[in-house]
Amino acid sequence: MSITNELVVEFPAIGENESLARVIVSVFVAGLNPTIEELSDLKVAVSEAVTNAIIHGYDSEKYLYDTGKPEQEQGAAGRDIANQIRLAMSLEGRTVTVSVTDHGCGIEDIDRAMEPLYTTKPDQERSGMGFSFMEAFTNELQVSSTPGQGTTVIMKKVIGE
Amino acid sequence: MDYEVKASDDFLWVLLPTELDHYQADRIRQEVKDEMREHIIKYIVFDFKQTTMMDSSGIGLITGRYRDVASQGGQVYVSHVDDHMKKVLTLSGLYRIVVPWEHIVSSV
Repeated sequence: MSITNELVVEFPAIGENESLARVIVSVFVAGLNPTIEELSDLKVAVSEAVTNAIIHGYDSEKYLYDTGKPEQEQGAAGRDIANQIRLAMSLEGRTVTVSVTDHGCGIEDIDRAMEPLYTTKPDQERSGMGFSFMEAFTNELQVSSTPGQGTTVIMKKVIGE
Repeated sequence: MDYEVKASDDFLWVLLPTELDHYQADRIRQEVKDEMREHIIKYIVFDFKQTTMMDSSGIGLITGRYRDVASQGGQVYVSHVDDHMKKVLTLSGLYRIVVPWEHIVSSV
């Protein structure tokens, strides 16, 4: 069976949307009949990427509902458009590609950030395992970032290998 | 399903939610800390009975509570760990500090 498909969604960077992102990706790959384990792996990877965007990219869960900016610069919910996360996914054959993009602070040193147990937020009990989990639970991980502009994480996972 | 936190003597039982992510971990951490202010807790059981997914935020939650009780000679246990959860716990090295609850129960 070969499916080609694409989906792009955008949502504000709030904790509640971590589960929304997982559900969307799960439904997107449903046609490939993933095993429970494959689905759990994919959910963990998506969860890590979206969580990173929220707590590191935007560095806060305090989102401005009224930013005082002109309406055209605000998202649909009236939130600052800069605090949006873009979740894009595509299917090609049995490979699903998920990319998570934020327009936050970016990462100065990607190699350092990807070291297991390295975290800039030990006070928030972050384990420093985010990128390690993304790597372990998918087949391929790419991270690109521009300080001050944002970060994109691209993950590929083969379903039904 | 939602989580539950119950204290009994120096034991704290934490039934984890279906999916344990950063959002849920923050809520649970708050409630566990509240209970630990009211009761002297030495032992914590994290019960994965209804949990099908946990990300690294869950690791932070468990290691944080381990630090809280280990200084008083306490212990952290994990219960009802399925294959996926076992993979997450093993990968994070958490088995070096937590004890499977079933091992304790079966050896009594």
